[in-house]
Parts: sequence; structure tokens; C-alpha cells
Amino acid sequence: MAATQVELQTTAGVIRIELDAEKAPLSAANFIAYVKSGHYDGTIFHRVIKGFMVQGGGMDSAMAQKPTQAAIQNEANNGVKNMKYTLAMARTNAPHSATAQFFINTTDNDFLNFRSESAQGWGYAVFGKVVSGTDVVDKIEGVRTGTRGFHSDVPLEDVVITRAVIVE
Amino acid sequence: MTALLTPRLDQNGPIATLQAPDRWQRIELLSDLHLSEATPRTVEAFLHQLRTSQADAFLLLGDVFEVWVGDDAARHTGFEQTMLAAMAAAAGGRWLGFMAGNRDFLVGPEALTRAQAHALPDPLCLAAWGQRWLLTHGDAFCLDDTEYQAFRQQVRAPAWQSNILAQPLAQRIETGRRMRDASEARKAAQVPEHYADVDQAASVALMTTAQATVLIHGHTHRPTSEPWGPAGQRHVLSDWDFDGAQARGDVLELSGAGVHRRPVSPRSSG
Repeated sequence: MAATQVELQTTAGVIRIELDAEKAPLSAANFIAYVKSGHYDGTIFHRVIKGFMVQGGGMDSAMAQKPTQAAIQNEANNGVKNMKYTLAMARTNAPHSATAQFFINTTDNDFLNFRSESAQGWGYAVFGKVVSGTDVVDKIEGVRTGTRGFHSDVPLEDVVITRAVIVE
Repeated sequence: MTALLTPRLDQNGPIATLQAPDRWQRIELLSDLHLSEATPRTVEAFLHQLRTSQADAFLLLGDVFEVWVGDDAARHTGFEQTMLAAMAAAAGGRWLGFMAGNRDFLVGPEALTRAQAHALPDPLCLAAWGQRWLLTHGDAFCLDDTEYQAFRQQVRAPAWQSNILAQPLAQRIETGRRMRDASEARKAAQVPEHYADVDQAASVALMTTAQATVLIHGHTHRPTSEPWGPAGQRHVLSDWDFDGAQARGDVLELSGAGVHRRPVSPRSSG
């Protein structure tokens, strides 16, 4: 069975993602559920750091957090590394707090990889990769950013995920 | 050679050196406690550590406090005054060294006197039992963070600090409160955290000057013990948090036998 692909239609272009349900079954299934429910539609890339990653899927243009489902288990110990253009789950400092937000690594971020089952060692679970539209990712990475309230690295012009769909 | 009875701080060379007295058998290092009124459990874990540790001396390597708006904050009752007195009492006469971090760099002589603590320069070479270690908080070496380095240069300038300390205390307390709120908001936000690590080349160069093969620092909140540079080692201290969901904290014990990392829990002793 071919790996599930998801298309992120954004105001910066289209990004096609291939999910790794074999190595990250919970994260992939979780992501698919949010896609199908339309959660990602209208969310923005609210945190963009050049040379690091672009993060989104959680907030709307008003920087309001969209409601999410229950947090999922961290699957970072699946051996998959935070290489450039891989997709990983964002979370708070609590290792198993990931819900809907995700990020796309824009470089090889070794320090985000799983090291140990400790508060500081858990790392971030990679559950997919960009298979087309890396130029769009690069474009998002390059946008000008500023501070909004307590949030820093916010794109000055919204980069909106207008629609996220499963590719049939 | 006559025995050294009290610790001696030499600031003549390119890098300040703290020479430990001969009677010190154990020195404990810790950092990044980020204490405030919002962290009562972490405060208690710290005081418990000071009280019950077998160490002869404690070197606090920065960010003991989440924020410090000036020594005058400790002149009246409140968190600052209570903390400084509690530190002095808990240390029970043992030597307390205090190195400023990027949050509490405004801690001054008046506060240190209240805490019965001694100012430590950053960076600092520690010499004990025939060994030498390079100690630093860590922020000064995160060279990739150019924005922070510019900020650091600004806020460490005496003129800037005089200006800030000349502001009314109430104003500085308000600024401190806003900084803590921002810090709390960041903790609730989703990460990954982007951070610049200590620059290896720059720190190794300083280790060479200090004739120290071991680097010890905090600041990054990413504890590790690993080879560092062509012939060195580094140990990074954990930050402390016993008030949140992820309890953590550690100390590094230095003795003639080397460096030993000991995790801290609120109920541990010794």
C-alpha cells in the first residue's frame, strides 16, 4: 500500500507531504485526522526561523489557537531523524504534549533528535517529509518576521494554509 | 608551600582564577534555577540542597533568579529579601560563589552581602586538587545568537546598568513582571526551541588560555557530558524546575576524583 500523501495548499504555494505511517503510526494517523476534519484550513505558519524550521497548523490569522484533540505519545524514538524537509510534531516542553502543530525542518536539526527518555532528551517526532514544493518551503522560510504580542518570529504577512487535503 | 586557608581570587591574568583552599574536599556547581515567587518548590529544593549537601563550597553559575531588578528590591520584605537571607542560612557558613547569568546580571554587592555570597567573574578558572576547570554561565559564548550578543554587550555596560537602576523601583518591578509573564507564555507555547549552543572554538581557545581541559557551564538547559574540542571535555548543568510537570535539576560535584553529576530531587539528601 502506498504511503498517504497530504497536500498543503498555502498562500505561498503547494507543499506535498508523504507520511511515514510505518515509523510514526500515531503521529501520521493524528495528522490525517486533523486534515480530514478541516482543522488545518485557515491556520497559518506562525513561527518561521530561517536556518531552523517553519512551524504552523495551530493558529489562525488572529494568532488564536484553534481547539485540538487529545495529545499524542511522542514517537521521536522511531529512529527517524530531523533532516531537512522532514515534517515533525511540535509540542510544549512536556514530551507527550503534541496535538496539531507541526514543523518542517529547513536544515538538518540533529539536536531535535531523540536522545533519551528524559525531559530534555525526548526530541521531536518526525512523521513525514516534503516530496514536492521544497521551493515553497524555502519561500516561507525566507519571509520577513517580527514579534506579535508574546510571539516572536511571526511572518509579517500571513502565510495561510488555505486547505489541507489527502491526496487520492 | 604554605597551605591556602581561604579561597583566593586572582584577577591579574587574562582569566580570573579561583584557587580553592586545601581543606576544601568537595565543591558543588549548579545553575539555571530561575527562582521567583512562582517557583516555591524549586526554591525549597535549592535550599534543601544547600542545607544537606556535604560540599565545602557552592559555585552558582548563573540564572539563580528568573529576574533581578536591582538590589534595592531586597531592602523591604518580599521574595528577594527572603531568598537572600534563606540562602545565607541554608549555606550555613559554607562558601557561596555567585556568577551572574543572563537573567540576574543586576545582582550587586548589596545583595551578595545579604546572601553572604561572593561575586564570581565570568568566565572563571577554578583551581583545586591540582586540577583546573573553566567555568562560565554560557551565554557569553553563544556567538551564533548575534542579536543576543548585541543585547548582552548593551546591558552589561556599567552606564546602561546605572541608568536602569536609577529608574524607580516600582517601574523596574513592573518590567520584571512583564518579563516573567513573557517567559511563562513562552513555556506554554509549542516548541521546538531554537537555541545557539556555546561556540566550541571560542570556548576551547579560552580553555587553552586557562590551562583547563574541562569546561563547565549552564544556560542552554541541555545537560550533557561529552568530549569538547581536540582534547577537552564539557559538562553542561541542567536547569531546575520542581514546580512544573517535568521535574528536573542537577548539581555537579567536583572533588579530587573528578566531576560527578548528581540529579536533585526535592526529597533527596546529601
